[in-house]
Amino acid sequence: CDKEILSPVSETAISDANAFDTPTRIEQQINGLYSTLKSGQFYGGRYLIYNDIRGEEFINRLDNLVTGKAVWSLNVESGRDEVNNLWATAYSTINRVNVFLKGLDDNAAKIDPTLLASYRGEAKLIRALTYYSLLQLYAKPFTLDNGASLGVPLRLLPESTGANNDLVRSTVAQVYTQILLDLNEAEPGLPSTYSTALLNTTRAHKNTAIALKTRVYLTMGRYADVITEGNKLVPAVAPYRAPTGVLHQLQASVATPYTNYTTVESIMSMPMTDANPPGTQNQLGYYFNKAGSGFGNGEYYLNTASAGILNNPLWPATDARKTNFITVSGGQSYLIKYNKTSPFADYVPVIRYAEVLLNLAEANARTSVTPSLRAIALLNAVRQRSDATYNFDPTNLATPAALINTILTERRIELIGEGFRSIDLLRTNQTIPGKISPTEPVNAVAPTEKAYIWPIPINEIRTNTLIVPN
Amino acid sequence: QDRTITGTVTAKDDGTPLPGVSITIKGNKVGTQTNLDGRYSIQVPLNSSELVFSYVGFISKTAIIKGSTVNVVLESDSRALSEVVVTGYGTQKRDEFTGSSAKVSGDVLKDRPIQSFGQGLTGQAAGVNIIQPNGVLNNPPVIRVRGFNSISLSSFPLIVVDGIPIVSGDVSPNNAANNTLGDINPSDIESIDILKDAASTSIYGSRGAAGVLIITTKKGKQGQAKVNLDSWFGITNPTRLPDILNASEYIAYKNEAVLNSKISGGNAANPAVASALFFPINNPDGSIVDTRWYDEVYREAYSQNHSLSISGATDKTTYYFSAGLSDQDGFIKRNNFKRNTARFNVNQKVTDWLKFVGNINITNSKNEAPNTGSLPGQAFGTSGLGRLAVLTAPNVYAVNPDGSYNISSANLVGQGNNLSQSGFTNAAAILDLNTFTSESNRILATVGTTINLVKGLTLTSNYSVDKITTESISFSSPVHGDGFTVQGEAANYLGNRNNWNWSSSLNYNKTFATKHNVDALVGYEAQEFTTRNWGGLRQQVADPFFNDYQGNYTLNQPPVGNAIGQRAFAAVFTRLNYNYGGKYFVTANLRRDGNSTLAAGRKYGNFGGVSAGWLISEEGFFKNSKLSDNISKIRIKGSYGVVGNGNLPSDFGSNFLFGSGLYGASSTLVFAQAGNTELQWETSKQTNIGLDLGFLNDRISFEATYFKNNIDGLILDAPQSPSKGIPGNTILQNIGSMYNQGIELGINASILEKGKFKWNANINYTNVKNEVTSLATGNADIAGVTSLETANITRVGYSVGSINAVKTAGINPDNGRRIFINKAGQMVQYQHVNLTGQSRWTFMDGSIAPAITLADAQIQGSAIPKWYGGFNNNFSYGRLDLGLQFTYSGGNVIYNGSQAGLRDQRFWNNQTDVLRRWTTPGQITDIPRPIFGDNVSNGSAFPIDANVEDGDFLRLSNATLGYKLPTNLLTKAKIGSVRIYASVNNAFLITNYTGSDPETSTNGNSNLAPGVERNSVPQGRTFTFGLNVGF
Repeated sequence: CDKEILSPVSETAISDANAFDTPTRIEQQINGLYSTLKSGQFYGGRYLIYNDIRGEEFINRLDNLVTGKAVWSLNVESGRDEVNNLWATAYSTINRVNVFLKGLDDNAAKIDPTLLASYRGEAKLIRALTYYSLLQLYAKPFTLDNGASLGVPLRLLPESTGANNDLVRSTVAQVYTQILLDLNEAEPGLPSTYSTALLNTTRAHKNTAIALKTRVYLTMGRYADVITEGNKLVPAVAPYRAPTGVLHQLQASVATPYTNYTTVESIMSMPMTDANPPGTQNQLGYYFNKAGSGFGNGEYYLNTASAGILNNPLWPATDARKTNFITVSGGQSYLIKYNKTSPFADYVPVIRYAEVLLNLAEANARTSVTPSLRAIALLNAVRQRSDATYNFDPTNLATPAALINTILTERRIELIGEGFRSIDLLRTNQTIPGKISPTEPVNAVAPTEKAYIWPIPINEIRTNTLIVPN
Repeated sequence: QDRTITGTVTAKDDGTPLPGVSITIKGNKVGTQTNLDGRYSIQVPLNSSELVFSYVGFISKTAIIKGSTVNVVLESDSRALSEVVVTGYGTQKRDEFTGSSAKVSGDVLKDRPIQSFGQGLTGQAAGVNIIQPNGVLNNPPVIRVRGFNSISLSSFPLIVVDGIPIVSGDVSPNNAANNTLGDINPSDIESIDILKDAASTSIYGSRGAAGVLIITTKKGKQGQAKVNLDSWFGITNPTRLPDILNASEYIAYKNEAVLNSKISGGNAANPAVASALFFPINNPDGSIVDTRWYDEVYREAYSQNHSLSISGATDKTTYYFSAGLSDQDGFIKRNNFKRNTARFNVNQKVTDWLKFVGNINITNSKNEAPNTGSLPGQAFGTSGLGRLAVLTAPNVYAVNPDGSYNISSANLVGQGNNLSQSGFTNAAAILDLNTFTSESNRILATVGTTINLVKGLTLTSNYSVDKITTESISFSSPVHGDGFTVQGEAANYLGNRNNWNWSSSLNYNKTFATKHNVDALVGYEAQEFTTRNWGGLRQQVADPFFNDYQGNYTLNQPPVGNAIGQRAFAAVFTRLNYNYGGKYFVTANLRRDGNSTLAAGRKYGNFGGVSAGWLISEEGFFKNSKLSDNISKIRIKGSYGVVGNGNLPSDFGSNFLFGSGLYGASSTLVFAQAGNTELQWETSKQTNIGLDLGFLNDRISFEATYFKNNIDGLILDAPQSPSKGIPGNTILQNIGSMYNQGIELGINASILEKGKFKWNANINYTNVKNEVTSLATGNADIAGVTSLETANITRVGYSVGSINAVKTAGINPDNGRRIFINKAGQMVQYQHVNLTGQSRWTFMDGSIAPAITLADAQIQGSAIPKWYGGFNNNFSYGRLDLGLQFTYSGGNVIYNGSQAGLRDQRFWNNQTDVLRRWTTPGQITDIPRPIFGDNVSNGSAFPIDANVEDGDFLRLSNATLGYKLPTNLLTKAKIGSVRIYASVNNAFLITNYTGSDPETSTNGNSNLAPGVERNSVPQGRTFTFGLNVGF
C-alpha cells in the first residue's frame, strides 16, 4: 500500500522516459518547438513589438512599463522583465531543440528516415532563427566589425541538470557561423511542401530555410550570398514566384495575408487560435490597434513627426498599405494590420515573400555600381502591388545610394509592425532616431552608445560567472 | 468510626456553585463529587483531618476538617490549562516536557474580530512571529516559528487539528482570499500548542521543520450542561492612509513637472512640446472637481459574530456542540467574509477498557473581495484598488454629474480636461461592476478508539477525513476594467481537496520501583492529500444582462485552472519518555517518514531527537536550601534533534516531465520540468537549551531558551543560467544551508492581588538571527521578486530575502537631481529629460556616467524582524476586567515600494511630501526636482534606499474592557453569567515607518521576498462590542 501511495504518477504530464515512445509524440514535440518559438514573449508578439518600438515609427501612449515603455524610450536596464523574459524564452526554445535533437538520435529507429531528416531540419531552423533573433537585441551588429564583438552563449547540447551554468559568450561571427550551419544542414532534409496550406505556413520547408538565409546574409552584409539564396526563390524577371517547393508569390492585395493567413505569400507565420492566443499584453493587435472595445489597447500610435514613416513623402495616401492598415482615432494614427479582437488571434508573420523580394533588391542594389535594374524591378513589384500606378521619382532611383535608401524606406512601409525597424537601423549602423511622446522626449542613440543594444539580463549575470555584460 | 461531612463548593470568581468537584480524604483513596448544586457529603474516618478538593481549571485546595460542615471556595487557575502540553500523538505534564513549546489559550481568540485563529496569535508566544499581510479579509497571515526555516519550500508551520495535519494557505484562484484556516471557528478552540524545537516536532518528521501548531478543540466538562453564547458587533475603518495631493495641488505640481521636462529637453521655445497637461474641471456648482478616491474604495464597515455552544459530560460521555455564525465586512468596499460552522465533539466510554471519540466540524465559508491588488502577485495590477485609490488624478470625476461612470473609450478613467492619461481604471466602476467570490464547504471529521489492552498499555487508532470543496467565481464586466478588452469575462473554478489520515499507536505507561516512570509510544501513520481542480473561462458576454458564467457568451475559452495533485506520507514513529522520581526527565523521538514528492529511492528519511531535563527544585539539597524560600521551581533542559522538510511546491517536483499544449490547432509536447533523481529531504538540526524558574510559589515564572537551527541540504529552487533553457530556469536541488539562532525569554506573573484588584501580565521577547551560509553552485544570489520589481536578494552571509536597493546620496542642491551611488561607490546623478546628445546619467562633474541599474544595488538590511514579542496585561477589579495586548517587533528594514509610487512623476497622484521638492539652487531637500515622466528618481524603475525604512514598531493590538453583571440579578433570570465588553483592535501604532503598516507583506508567505510593501491596502482598526452569556 505504501509503495503505491508514495509513488503517484502525474496524470497531466508525460514522463521524459516516455516522451519519444511513439511517432505521434515525436510529432507533438516538433509542434512543441514551434509553440515555444511562438511564446508571447518571443515570436508570438513581443520580439516583433520590441524591434518595432525601438525605432522611430511609433509613439508610446500609456507610459506603461509592462507594455514596453522602457524599450520604446531606449532605457532598458539589465533587470527589466523585457530583457530577462525574451532571453529566457529564446534559450528555452534552444534547449528544447537541443533536447529534441538528442532524443531524436536516441529514438531514430522509431520513425521513417525521411521524417527524421525533416524533423532534424525543422529543429535546426528553429534554433537558427532563435540565435539570429538573440543577436539582433543583445549583440552589436555584425556589420560593425565583421562580428568580432561579443555575441551570445552558444548552447548546442541538451541541458536538464544543475551542471554547466557557466558559459562564455561566443563572438557575433561564431554565432552566425552556427546559424548558417544549421540552416544549410536543415535545407536538404526539409520537405519541399506539406500536404496543406496551413502546414506550408506554420511548419518549415525548404523555401523557409532559403528565405531565412536571405535575411541572415542581409543582416551580415553578405550581399552576394543574399543574391545566391534569393535567386532560388525569385526568378530573374516578373512574375515573381518561387519556382520550386511552395510556390511563393505576392497576393494581389496587400491586405490578404493579414486575413487569409495561409496564402503562399506567408512563408512562415505563427498560427493563432482563440484557444491558443499570444497571451495577455503580448498581442500585436493589443499594442498597435486603437483602443476601444472590440479593438486593441492603443499602446503605440504612429509618429507624425517627420522622422516617422507615416508622413514620409514616399508613402502617399493612395497606397493600399495606408488605406488598409492605418486608422485614425482620437487624433492619432494606429496600425491595424492586426485587426482581430480579443484574444487577438491574428497570425504573426515571421517571413513573407515581400521581404525576400526586398532583401534581394537591396542586395542587388548594394552589389551594383550603377542602380541595379533588377533591384528597381523588385522594388516596384512590392510598391505597385499596393499602389498600382505609382512610379518613383527618378531621383529616388538615380544612384545606388539613392536606390538603397528608397528600398530601405520601402521596407519601413511594407514591413511596419513586423519587427524589422530596429534590425534595419542596426545592420546599417544608423543612429536610432529620437522621438517625442506627450510625456517624454527620447533622444537619439548613436551606435557607440550603450543603449544601442540591450544589456545582458541580470538573471544570466547572476548565474553564469563567465558572462560579460554589455 | 466515621463521621459525615457536608458542604458546598463555589467558585471564587462569581460565587457560583461548582458541580463535579472531586473530594478525597487526604491519605485515603475514598472520594466523592459535588452534585449539580455544588453540594457534597462524605464519610470520613475519625483519624482523617483533611479533605482535598480538586477540579479541572481550578487550583486544588486542602481543607482542614473543623466541625461537620466544610464549605470551600476554589480559585480558578489561569495556569491550569498550561500545565499540560499537547505533543504529537499524546500529552505531557509541563514539568515533564523537556522540549520547547508555547501554549495559547483559546480565550485569547474567541472575542477577536478575526477570520482565522492565526491572526489572533500575534505577540502571544515567544518565538512565534505573525504578520497580517494587509487588510483584505481572510487572507492567510504569515506565521513564522523561530524564523524562516526554508528558502524555496514553505516556512509556514504544520497545522494539526485534533490530531490531523490539515492543509493551509489560500485556496482561491481569484481576488477573494480564502484561507483554509478560516474554516475553523476560533470560538471552538480550547488551546493552541506551538511545538518549536526538533525534539518536539520530529515526531511529525518531514513536516515539522517550521514548527507545529496543534489545535485542540473544546470538550465538555463534567457536571451540569453548560450553554455559552458569545456575540460581538464590530466597526472597522482603514488606518494610516497616506496624505495625497488634492485637485489643485495635483494640477499645479504636475504642470510644474511638465514645464521642467520641456525646459530640460531644450524645448522651452518649442510649441510642439506642452507646457502644461493638467487642467481643472468644474462641478455644476462651480467648485472644482476634487475627487477623494479613498471614499470610492474604502468605507466604514460593520461586522457581527455569534457562537453558541452546549457542552457537558457524565462519567461515560463527554460532548461539545457548537454553532457559529460570522458576517464580517471589510473596510474595503465589497469585501465580506461569511462563515457558518457547526461542530460536534463526543467522547464515549463504552466499557472500562474501550472508548470512542468522534469529532465533526462542518463549515461553509464565503469570501467576497474586489481586486485589491494586495494578494501575492497582484502588486502591479492596473486595477488593484490599493493602488488606484492613491494614484488616480483627483481632478477628474469618479462618477459624472449625470450618474454615468467617468470612463474613456480606451478603458481608462476619463481624463476630464487633462491632456494626459489621468489614471488606470476607474475604481468606482470596477468596484460596482466586477464580482469575485470564493466559497468553501468543508467537512473535517475524526472517529477513533482507545483500547486499554492490559494495565498501562493502550491502543489508540484514529481515522480522519478533511474534505474541502471550493467554488470560486469571477465576473469582469465588459463596460470597464479588466474585462473590457475581452468584452466581458466569467471564470469559474471548482477545487476538490481530499485529505485522509489514519494513525494508530500503542502506548505503555508504567512506574517501576516507585521512581522509574516510563511512557513509551510506537505508532504508524499514513496520510494522503489529493487535489482535483478544474475551471472554465468564457469571454465576450452576449448581453449586458448576463453577469454569471451560466449566461451566454460568444467565446468559450479553453479550460483554466486544471490540475490534479496527489501527495502522500507514510511513517512509523516511536517515543520514549522516562523520568526518575519526578526530577530527571528524558524523552527520545524517532520517526521514519516517507514522502511521495521526493525522488524514487530517496523517499524515506529518519528523523528524531532527544531531550532531557532536570527539575532541580525537586532535589532534597534544594528544598533544604534557603533558595527554596523564594524560588519555587528551577529546571534546566536541553534538546537536540533532526527534523525534515519535504513540503515541495509541486507534488511531482522530482520528476522530469513533458507537458502538453497547443501550437495553433495542433497538440504539442514540450520539455516542461527538469526534475532531480537525487532529490531528498531538507534537514534541520536543532539545538535547544532552556531554563525555567518559578518564584513565590510560581506566582512569577520565567523561561529562557537558547536555540540554534542548522538547516542543511536546503531544497532550493536552484537558479540555472537562463541560457541553459531549463524550464522555469530552476531545478529543485538539495543545495545550500542556513541557520536560525536566537533566544526567547518569557515572564508570566501575577503582579498584584490586593482585595478586588488583580493584575496578571506576561511579556515575551524573541531575538533571532538568520544567516544563509551557502547557496547553489557558485553561491549565486537568488532574487526575490515583487511582481515586476526585485527588492529582495538572498545572498550568502545575509538573512533570507534581504532588502536590496541602489544607494542614493540625497538630492544635488545645485540642480535638484537625485544622486545615486554605483557599484564602484561613485556618485551618479540622474535627469530624466535632457538636451539632445546629453546623457541622463552623469557624474557630478557632468561627464557621462554608465546608467545605474539593479546590478548597482546593495543590501540594505534584513527584511526579517530580529526581535519581536508581546506584552499582555489582564487587570481585574471586582466585576471589571481590562486586557491590554501589546506587540512589538524590529531590527528589520522594509522596502516601502508604495512610496516609490507615491512619488512617481508620471500622471500618478503624489503624496503631499513631494511639495518639499527641489526648486531653487542651493536648496537642501530629499525630493528631487520633478520632471514629468520621471520614474527613476523616485524608485519606480528599480528600488532605491530612499524607500527603505526601519520596521520597528509597538502596537496596542487589542484593548478590551469588560464587565460581569452581578450574579444576584442573573440568578433570578436563571442565567449563569453575563459579561459585556468593548474592545479595540489595532488601537494604535508607534513607529517611524511611513508606509501604511510595518507588518505589511505584499508577497504574503514568500520566503524570498518578505518585508515589502507595494500597493497593498492598509490595515483596519476595529471597535467591537460584545457579550458572553453562560447558562
